[in-house]
Amino acid sequence: MSSPGVVNLDLSAPPIVRLMERRSLIIGVIFAVIAIVGAFLRTDEFFHAYLLGFMLWLGVALGSMAILMIRHLTGGGWGVVIRRLQGAAMRTLPLLALLFVPIPFGRRFLYIWARPLDSIPDAHLRQHLAEITRSYLSVQGFIIRAVIYFAIWIGLSFFLSKWSAQHDQPPMRDTSARAKALSGPGLVLYAFTISFAAIDWVMSIDPSWISTIYGLIILIGEVLSAMCFAVVIERILVDYKPMSELLKPDFVHDHGKWMLTFLMLWAYFSFSQWLIIWAGNLPEEITWYIRRLYGGWGSIGLMLVVFHFVVPFVLLLSRPFKRNIRKLVWLATGLMIMRFVDLFWIIEPNFSPTIRVTWLDIVVPVAMGGLWLAYFFHNLASMPLLPAFDPYVREVWEPTHSEAGA
Amino acid sequence: MKHTGNYGMMAEFDSPTTLVAAARQTYEAGYKRIDAYSPFPIEELAEAIGFHHNSVPLVVLIGGLLGCASGYLLQWWISTVSYPINVGGRPYHSWPAFIVVTFEMTILFSVLAAVFGMLALNGLPMPYHPVFNVPRFAFATRDRFFLMIFSSDPKYRGSETKAFLESLNPRSISEVPQ
Repeated sequence: MSSPGVVNLDLSAPPIVRLMERRSLIIGVIFAVIAIVGAFLRTDEFFHAYLLGFMLWLGVALGSMAILMIRHLTGGGWGVVIRRLQGAAMRTLPLLALLFVPIPFGRRFLYIWARPLDSIPDAHLRQHLAEITRSYLSVQGFIIRAVIYFAIWIGLSFFLSKWSAQHDQPPMRDTSARAKALSGPGLVLYAFTISFAAIDWVMSIDPSWISTIYGLIILIGEVLSAMCFAVVIERILVDYKPMSELLKPDFVHDHGKWMLTFLMLWAYFSFSQWLIIWAGNLPEEITWYIRRLYGGWGSIGLMLVVFHFVVPFVLLLSRPFKRNIRKLVWLATGLMIMRFVDLFWIIEPNFSPTIRVTWLDIVVPVAMGGLWLAYFFHNLASMPLLPAFDPYVREVWEPTHSEAGA
Repeated sequence: MKHTGNYGMMAEFDSPTTLVAAARQTYEAGYKRIDAYSPFPIEELAEAIGFHHNSVPLVVLIGGLLGCASGYLLQWWISTVSYPINVGGRPYHSWPAFIVVTFEMTILFSVLAAVFGMLALNGLPMPYHPVFNVPRFAFATRDRFFLMIFSSDPKYRGSETKAFLESLNPRSISEVPQ
């Protein structure tokens, strides 16, 4: 096994990727047209749905970057085999930065603190808003911070992609030390930036409510949806070369284990927040849950407990289930939908005391997803599915004991 | 003491790869009561000797369910029957407060069931085992890999089995006394 291990395998993405790019683009454009019509008909509902869709697809991109950085630190064939999928998802961040632009323009439809103070009837709230908009939640600060978050994310993504692309050309060289040196601080930066971003963009919709674990709930949801996304894409690719040769049941098993880990962390964070606020039962905290448990929203909360935790948890305990990509993909798809429901339950009750699902809540995230997926597949097709001249790629095609003996 | 016949026959190999290949051939040749020994875990080996299923997960599940139920019921009984205390006007039976302990008890019982269930299913502790009658077996903890065919296998015939093991090109073959 002294040979570099470069096998005679065409590593470029199969034609299905280009086909998916076209399909996604068609869906994205059609739904985007409907969404734009909706933006004129019902501007406030449009922006609520817009934030929902934005947070959903931003999560997949950022979560992919986080898992990529984890892989740089831990190593492992499970991560090598999906690193180019996650790289492609990560390189959509410039598109997401562009998609962020409408949010500051629509701020008055989303954030009560961005409205003129005179328009707020409640004197107590007006006083509170006058204080926080002077210090942290100013429109200017909101925009400057968003620029900083995206600069950090796109900067990390730029270097990780650039170094990865160098491994497509000879000579074979080990640059893992450099990737590690960036990924360690990169993960810390990601945790901080996404916490601040979650506070700015989502938590501040209700500016009188705070929860310190909130950023972590958003973070782990992002990483979970990114792992599920990788499973869905590898399922599409596994029918074609080269993924059909590369994806071993052991790797799928590891992806399933990651899903279980992130799922349990999500449940742990979400339950911790609920337990602490329930135990404290303070008026300024418990209102967040009262809004989300009454007026019909409670049924969505119950749905989250059952389908975002209990059912997937029980399924993921099974070893044969985790090793079978054709079964695991259904759970991964379901969990991505539940990720949408989770964000819906976090965002939408702010705007309506009784349960309300508008057609824009579906159309806008689908439109954004179509455009985002088109860009993702475009990125995926533009690079080989494995960096052939990275020594760590050996972890993927090094034969196991049984194969070598056969 | 019974001294009728051997416990089985053992072949020694140099590498995990040759062991897995030999184990697979042996299983395919019709020997079903076989075992393999190596200094470190080899993922493919269990499958190669036809070992597909073990009962540890079931034992762990039962342990976990017992822990879950006992943790919850203990708190329910204390808070509502044995010593009810009014905490902040909440109902005595306030399930959110019980979840943490219930969870911990589930983990504790699962882990205990896993450890002791594994030991029991393996028949451990086992003060005597015939394989140690073969002096070379000491290398199984270092750099040698062993394949064993038990004499209880219906296909086991002394000379025939020895000839078969020789066809696998092992380093050595030893008969294992009872």
